[in-house]
Amino acid sequence: MQRLASTAIAACLLFVAAAAQAAPPLRVGMELSYPPFEMTDPQGRPAGVSVRLAEALGRHLGRDVVVENIAFDGLIPALKTGKIDCVISSMTATPERAKSIAFSDPYLRTGLALLVGAKSSVQSAADLDAPGRVIAVKKGTTGHQFAATSLTRATVLVLDKESAAVLEVVQGRADAFIYDSLSVFQNQRRHRDTTRALLHPFREETWAVGLRRDDTALRDQVNAFLEAFRAEGGFERLGDEFLPEEKASFKAAGIPFYF
Amino acid sequence: MPRWLAHTIVVAAFAGAIALAFWRVGYDWNWAAVWAYRQKFLQGWLTTVALSLAALFASITIGAVTALLMRSGVVLLESTARVYVELIRGTPLLVQLLIGFYVVASAVGLDNRYLVGTLVLALFSGAYMAEIFRGGLDAIPRAQLDSARAIGLDPWQTLRLVVLPQAVRIALPSVAGQLVSLIKDSSLLSVIAISEFTLNAQEVNSFTYSTLESYLPLAAGYLALTLPLSALSRWLERRFAYEAA
Repeated sequence: MQRLASTAIAACLLFVAAAAQAAPPLRVGMELSYPPFEMTDPQGRPAGVSVRLAEALGRHLGRDVVVENIAFDGLIPALKTGKIDCVISSMTATPERAKSIAFSDPYLRTGLALLVGAKSSVQSAADLDAPGRVIAVKKGTTGHQFAATSLTRATVLVLDKESAAVLEVVQGRADAFIYDSLSVFQNQRRHRDTTRALLHPFREETWAVGLRRDDTALRDQVNAFLEAFRAEGGFERLGDEFLPEEKASFKAAGIPFYF
Repeated sequence: MPRWLAHTIVVAAFAGAIALAFWRVGYDWNWAAVWAYRQKFLQGWLTTVALSLAALFASITIGAVTALLMRSGVVLLESTARVYVELIRGTPLLVQLLIGFYVVASAVGLDNRYLVGTLVLALFSGAYMAEIFRGGLDAIPRAQLDSARAIGLDPWQTLRLVVLPQAVRIALPSVAGQLVSLIKDSSLLSVIAISEFTLNAQEVNSFTYSTLESYLPLAAGYLALTLPLSALSRWLERRFAYEAA
């Protein structure tokens, strides 16, 4: 009886050890407040383009995917300290960020655009760099970096939520909100009377997957996945499912926005 | 063992333990990047000092007035004070800031976010001050007020000579604690884009990705404000102390 028990225990331990050595889950960091790329469905689960992309990546690698909801300006520290394995959060690949982390091949081309208040006289990004202009930006984004380096004569309001920045423009306290062209388009539609959108990007950007600098193995895997995903039309399907209107409008207006 | 020696040893042990933790994690320090932004830190710190001081004096005034209203005997005034205190103490400062700035201030036409932020912070802290002052005032036994009237002191003299010396001594530690809280709560003003100390440190972190090198000076900066306040409070306590019969 004792022999049977100890054999059973040994078998259980071996099973657990074997299971533990199966591929660990892929922890993907994103900020779930950026529809339609990163958002939550009505049941509170992560949903959106980036979530689908992460799930497809997980299937390609044979690993389970765990989505961690982290504030945007906390994503890079979380990646560097090992709390997450990669960042798929519509993050622009910039030279400054590339000093801290590595990026995969780009998967989307977009640009910085302006959400302008209806009563403001701003006509382009060049109008912004003047004393008396008030510009809203979201903390940690490329819009924030652009405003801090290139718009030194204006007043820059740094807010930590997109909704607060849009509110500043809607209420007329800020002349413009610098954000990516897709979000500007969506916000303008929600506030048709109080805002206008200057959608032509004054600065083009590409989004990529963020990875740790020493994690070359994962980087190669992600690049291979992106190539395969694009080849089999995965991005087309995501675009048609989540962004049909935007795709059509942007195409009609000649604004770059494509996977 | 002299107190200053004990303090030094405890602080050194604490710092040593934290330094050990950092060393074991193998954190990649990058002070140069943060040093380049020292102007931003300084500006943020000065803004926090200014906002905190203004809110500090305003909240003491608001608290004192409210505490007196609560004891005024006029039902409407007492009710106003009570409703104000319960409402403000019962809701988060974040909610008060967002509603106060984006809804109330817009409706009233107040555009200066620094003014609105200081006002909301002062009202928030004032509610707590009111309760602290009320506690101090209530601690004076009725018998003393009767005795004061018996020896011919008018209400103003009673307040000045009998009530306040005792009430202030009782309330002082709590007031100091509340003021320290206020200085730290001022960091929440960043949600309405007030460029105070915490927001500036977070911005530097966004630009340089040096999280700890941005946040350690932040902690030090707040300590530089709160430690003198605690010292001042202890000095005042000694000054107001008397032989409690």
